[in-house]
Amino acid sequence: MAEDLVLDTAIRDWVLIPLSVVMVLIGVLRYFVSKLMRSSSVPDPKIVKEGQVIIRARNLRAAANFIPAKSFRSRKAYYSNEENGLLHVPKGQAQNAQAQMFSDPNMAMDMMKKNLSMIIPQTLTFAWVNFFFSGFVAAKIPFPLTQRFRSMLQNGIDLSTVDVSYVSSRSWYFLNLFGLRGLFSLILGEENATDDTQRMMQMSGFGFDPSKSLGAEKDGLDIVQHEWALPKFEQRAEAVLRKLVS
Amino acid sequence: METASLSGLARLISNRCPPPSSENARDFSKKMVSKTEEEQVNRLEIQVENGGGGAWEYLCLVRKLKLRRSDRVLKFGLSILNDPKKRSNLGPEEWTLYEEVAVAAMDCQCLDVAKDCTKILQNKFPGSNRVGRLEAMLLEAKGSWEEAEKAYLSLLEENPLDQVIHKRKTAMAKAQGNIPQAVECLNKYLEIFMADHDAWRELAEIYMSLQMYKQAAFCYEELILAQPTVPLYHLAYADVLYTLGGLENLQIAKKYYSSAVELTGGKNTRALFGICLCSFAIGQLTKGRNKEDKENSELQSLSALALEKEYKQRNPSKNALLTATLKSLKLSS
Repeated sequence: MAEDLVLDTAIRDWVLIPLSVVMVLIGVLRYFVSKLMRSSSVPDPKIVKEGQVIIRARNLRAAANFIPAKSFRSRKAYYSNEENGLLHVPKGQAQNAQAQMFSDPNMAMDMMKKNLSMIIPQTLTFAWVNFFFSGFVAAKIPFPLTQRFRSMLQNGIDLSTVDVSYVSSRSWYFLNLFGLRGLFSLILGEENATDDTQRMMQMSGFGFDPSKSLGAEKDGLDIVQHEWALPKFEQRAEAVLRKLVS
Repeated sequence: METASLSGLARLISNRCPPPSSENARDFSKKMVSKTEEEQVNRLEIQVENGGGGAWEYLCLVRKLKLRRSDRVLKFGLSILNDPKKRSNLGPEEWTLYEEVAVAAMDCQCLDVAKDCTKILQNKFPGSNRVGRLEAMLLEAKGSWEEAEKAYLSLLEENPLDQVIHKRKTAMAKAQGNIPQAVECLNKYLEIFMADHDAWRELAEIYMSLQMYKQAAFCYEELILAQPTVPLYHLAYADVLYTLGGLENLQIAKKYYSSAVELTGGKNTRALFGICLCSFAIGQLTKGRNKEDKENSELQSLSALALEKEYKQRNPSKNALLTATLKSLKLSS
């Protein structure tokens, strides 16, 4: 029965192609809009410094055995003493960090801008597709698929007898929404702003709390046992030289 | 005693093998470029020099490895920029090339070329931070320090965390011979960007030139922490400790010389000499009470042997000098 289903060429000309073209155009438009709205945020010196402190402390932890004990102790004290150590975070300040982040109007604004440029066009196009093209079978893929794909490919059609290889218009919209990334990176260059998944990652990393990682690094540094590796090197150098001389 | 043997050592080392082309040798040893990359650059350079093409690849490589070969960058870069067809083939990379050539031209004191490149970039990207930096550098190259300083300051106001500008300011202070200010600048920079090991290295070298060895030692410790497997830092740290003197420092210096030997597989002449000198100095200091000397003397005689072997192999004409030096250290066999 499925073979009998013939798609009108008008559907191709008036649904499939316009839908794809519109999706591409909207993607390009969104790229330029977000480029316009992107404010060049000046990073906070304090946050930059904290990041650098963490790198340096991590280096100290990893290579502690390569410097003399005296140097290690003085560095450890410098990083983690309770009064003014670099890694020491005062109690009250730790709680504040999160609240402070949200009270900062610039940051909230930035987040809103990002959200707006992502959500508004998506809602609009979805409404548009729903209104004009609901219930169309827009395309047929050239290979058979199992029933599991029905919800993916035939969103908006509630017929269980239609072969799964037919794609409904709403599903075509979703496929375009998620599948055009490769095309965008071709058109707009590698680091285009339309990469949704990447943006999601950024969003989740947004609540990153530097004071927490400072504390973790401090704990790590506290338990490092210093065991100077250099005395061993004298023997190893001897072995190397013996091999060289002989 | 120490200074005498040290200067003898310096003469020995500098006489041993004349560096093939001093400039290249320097920029490789400073930037730590791997051997294969070095070969690649040199091969490309010869190829371009003989008209074999590949100028753009060479320029890209130089930029990637951050080498300082300004004269050739200027020459090859201009040959591309003056050829409209080649230039338009680059597409947007054209502007990167303009920047690279401008900096190279400043380095070669071809100020007219640098000025033209900067002007073109200025027309293309008005109000850009990066071009502003280039303009300030041009002022700096002309030697009008005050104007350059002003330009840098105004750029810093816009973007207080621009690492390059902070570094330029330090370099400018150093170029003017105002070393204390350079130190101050670098310290201020390192307060924020404390994981930047190149800056630590620069600071260490400045402290060395000021004979502030304790401070230099701290910087070298920081460098060892950042890259524990680079033998150069172990060597430099040992040098500082040896210069500081004192029994404890000498013993530590000897350990770092041995680690440098181990990391280079015994190929580093300076480290071998370092072990000999350290052992000798330790021996002098603990003359009356030699308890632990026995175990250490083996390392010392081994490094002396290694030195003798290396000199015999690579430069027999200096053998007499080496024997005399070792004899003065009571190491000659």
